Amino acid sequence: MRTYVLRRLVYAIPTMLAVITITFLITRLAPGDPVRLYTFGVTDITREDIEALRRAYGLDKSLPEQFLIFMGNAIRLDFGDSIRYHRDAFGLLLELLPNTIQLAVAALLLQLLIGVPLGLVAAVNRGKWIDNVVRFFGTIGHAIPAFWLGLLMIIVMSVSLRLLPSQGMLTIGAEQTDFVDRLKHIIMPAFVLALAGIANFSRYVRTETLDVIRQDYIRTAEAKGLRDRTVFTVHALRNALIPVVTALGGVLAFLVSGALVIEQVFTWPGVGRFVYDAARAKDYPIITAGVVLGATLLIIGYLVRDIMYAVVDPRIKVK
Amino acid sequence: MRNWRRIRAFVAVLGSLALVAAACGPTAPTGGTPGGTAGAQETPQQGGRIVEGTFADIKTLSPTLSNDVPSSTAIGKIYDTLFTADPKSGELKPNLGKWQISSDSRTYTWEIDSKANWSDGKPIIGEDYLTGVKAVAKSKLTVRKSNYQDIEGWKDFVDGKAATISGIKVDSANPKKFTVTFTKVFCPALVNAFGTSSGPLPTHVFGKYVQQSSADEIDKAPENLQPTVFSGPFKFKEWRKGDQVIMDRNESYWKGAPLVDQWVYKVVADSTVLAAQLKTGELNYGTIDPKDLADMETQPNLQIFKYQQLSYTYIGWNVKSATAPALADKKVRQALAYGLDMDAVVKSILFGQGTKMVAHHPPVSWAFPKAGMQEYKYDKAKAEQLIKEAGYTKSGDFYAKDGKTLEFSIVANSGNKVREQLLQVATEQYKAIGVKVNPKLEAFETMVDKLTKGNQEIQAWIIGWSLGLEPDPYGIWHSSQIPDPGKGTTGFNFGAFTAPGFDKAIEDGRSGDCSQAARQKNYETVNKILNEEQPYNFGFSPNALLVVPKNMRAIDPGPFSTTYNIEKWWYKK
Repeated sequence: MRTYVLRRLVYAIPTMLAVITITFLITRLAPGDPVRLYTFGVTDITREDIEALRRAYGLDKSLPEQFLIFMGNAIRLDFGDSIRYHRDAFGLLLELLPNTIQLAVAALLLQLLIGVPLGLVAAVNRGKWIDNVVRFFGTIGHAIPAFWLGLLMIIVMSVSLRLLPSQGMLTIGAEQTDFVDRLKHIIMPAFVLALAGIANFSRYVRTETLDVIRQDYIRTAEAKGLRDRTVFTVHALRNALIPVVTALGGVLAFLVSGALVIEQVFTWPGVGRFVYDAARAKDYPIITAGVVLGATLLIIGYLVRDIMYAVVDPRIKVK
Repeated sequence: MRNWRRIRAFVAVLGSLALVAAACGPTAPTGGTPGGTAGAQETPQQGGRIVEGTFADIKTLSPTLSNDVPSSTAIGKIYDTLFTADPKSGELKPNLGKWQISSDSRTYTWEIDSKANWSDGKPIIGEDYLTGVKAVAKSKLTVRKSNYQDIEGWKDFVDGKAATISGIKVDSANPKKFTVTFTKVFCPALVNAFGTSSGPLPTHVFGKYVQQSSADEIDKAPENLQPTVFSGPFKFKEWRKGDQVIMDRNESYWKGAPLVDQWVYKVVADSTVLAAQLKTGELNYGTIDPKDLADMETQPNLQIFKYQQLSYTYIGWNVKSATAPALADKKVRQALAYGLDMDAVVKSILFGQGTKMVAHHPPVSWAFPKAGMQEYKYDKAKAEQLIKEAGYTKSGDFYAKDGKTLEFSIVANSGNKVREQLLQVATEQYKAIGVKVNPKLEAFETMVDKLTKGNQEIQAWIIGWSLGLEPDPYGIWHSSQIPDPGKGTTGFNFGAFTAPGFDKAIEDGRSGDCSQAARQKNYETVNKILNEEQPYNFGFSPNALLVVPKNMRAIDPGPFSTTYNIEKWWYKK
């Protein structure tokens, strides 16, 4: 196992280098100059001062030079100072990462708490109306665009019914430790972020459960005279949920990276919204740091998933 | 626009629609019973908080580094400036200090108010102004150096050759008194060097970062993010990144502690959310889009202030375009002014909340000529007449000359609904006068890149300028600001416009006689040339629509300043 993990980590190095290189090239080659954008409208700035700013951010050097310096620093997780915030870009992201993880974990919990029971109920009631409803929900959940649902929920839940706050993490005046207030703020964005996953899990669990209950060992258990509930919970459910458990690593990484749109709609102060704003302003250091952070989470997520496969299902050998 | 910000432009005039303003002169509140100012019988009450909505988070709390509206808005609450502006007229008035200008217009003598203290009780003195200037000198990331570069001894200090800036002298007998001497006459100096980033900085906090031997420590000062000592009406409490900035009232504010307990700056997604939250009371200070005005006026708990803003959205013509030579012809440009019904545009796009512009300075500015401006009222026949006079004849739907159709492209930045609508209307109305417009949308950053580099691919464009207290148009209109792709120089005179006497009037306005009357005369010349030559279709200036609760008292905003008396605002319970 240790060799496997080490090997996977070594494999991750060229992936990360490729991600960093591609991000560097895309940001640098796309039209638009960050210093010019930053100083646009400062009509009394001199050309000398613009050049001085360019020097301060190392943008006066040739592209290959910039790349070499950038790679040397990136290895130490130093992506430079944000052009707009004048601070270490990676540090800024790390400050916001807990907010995004908070949202992603809440969404993941909702996916599990809603999606898994729905799948089980559908499987147990296969062919009945409840199964049809769950399957219909599975399709709709995938089809609804998250941003649209987010706006709709804001209109209904916040503006019309005034049940939940529509924006941000905390009410004005609330302390950081006010968890009830925090919970009120996270419900809507977490649900919208989770919706596709809920639909996914419900379909996934339904299919797996139907597959498992046709297996010989289930029939054997029934033949032994075990109660239906025991057969279902001890034998069927445990096996049906193996793929769900193993999928968690990848899902969490997906949620972190997929929070961008949701953070925008609900003004959730997370990494996604921050990097999106940076991309619009061509704030190179934040863009690159954001992409590297996202890629790292994804790689770690998939690694965790693969390891969990081996851990929870002894039939699968780690190769 | 903060009154201490210098002339600067920023592009997001749609974004600024939320911040924005325009034309309606008076600022009497509307919506239910009037309630903007305290009645004689009302006694101000303490308590409550101001929760202002913003679309973007602040970036810094350093006046030296700030270069965005949200940061400047927040900084304005914690650091006072030497002077303030009358909200309605823009006239400069003493604030932290009062000033005198020498007869040769090169030396400014300031005396800081005897009551003016920092929040820790230390007096605000001339040395603190010097520290503020030194901070800009030492910073490698500021955009403000040009404000001070003409102060005597500036360069020696920047280069590390001198321990201080020799042109700034603090009176040893009265530390609240100081003089600043410039190497040459520069009329915008009063606003630029004393009213923008140049509010005094506490020497006992920032002094250690701006020594002769300092490199760029000032850029990394922790107090840039968590300031500890304040001269403004509020004290920094907390910055919840991406969500809100919280400031408590400064009990020891030299003009008297504010009546409200807190000022909070809350990030919201967009103008729709901002309007919704003003209605629910989650926000109680914010500028709305014109589209939300009708709805907001029906809210019994809100009052709305409407006032003209110092910004405008325009269609620029590249008068040197080789691929659209028609734009070099004044008659064609005038035809394009007559051929677009800007009053109708203001009605349809801004719901009437704006003013048609006919030159660079908005009518509310003292630099705008009092008379003699051509209004270019919509006149289709006159437009076509001018096109004919320019040598074009109609062939089919469009005019043509030498076999070439009178056509050009206009580019606007995608996502900006106001500009997209203006582009659409312009395309349709110009077609009606026989001019073919090829509308294009591009990403804002791409447009900025092309415009500032002088990329000749752009024949015409839609963008906006936001002007400040100081009306100097040099950076936008002087011929030295024409970008030259050949030389690799950039600038804001994108359309390469110049005219006889134009540069001289601009130069005289900034370095001749600095009296307002003399400058006004020069800017009259500038505006009349622009009005006659029409290098832009000057478009429109949108109104600011500021919404606050009806029970807010003492607020009285104007185009030049909104929060100048924030310490006096209060809520009637």
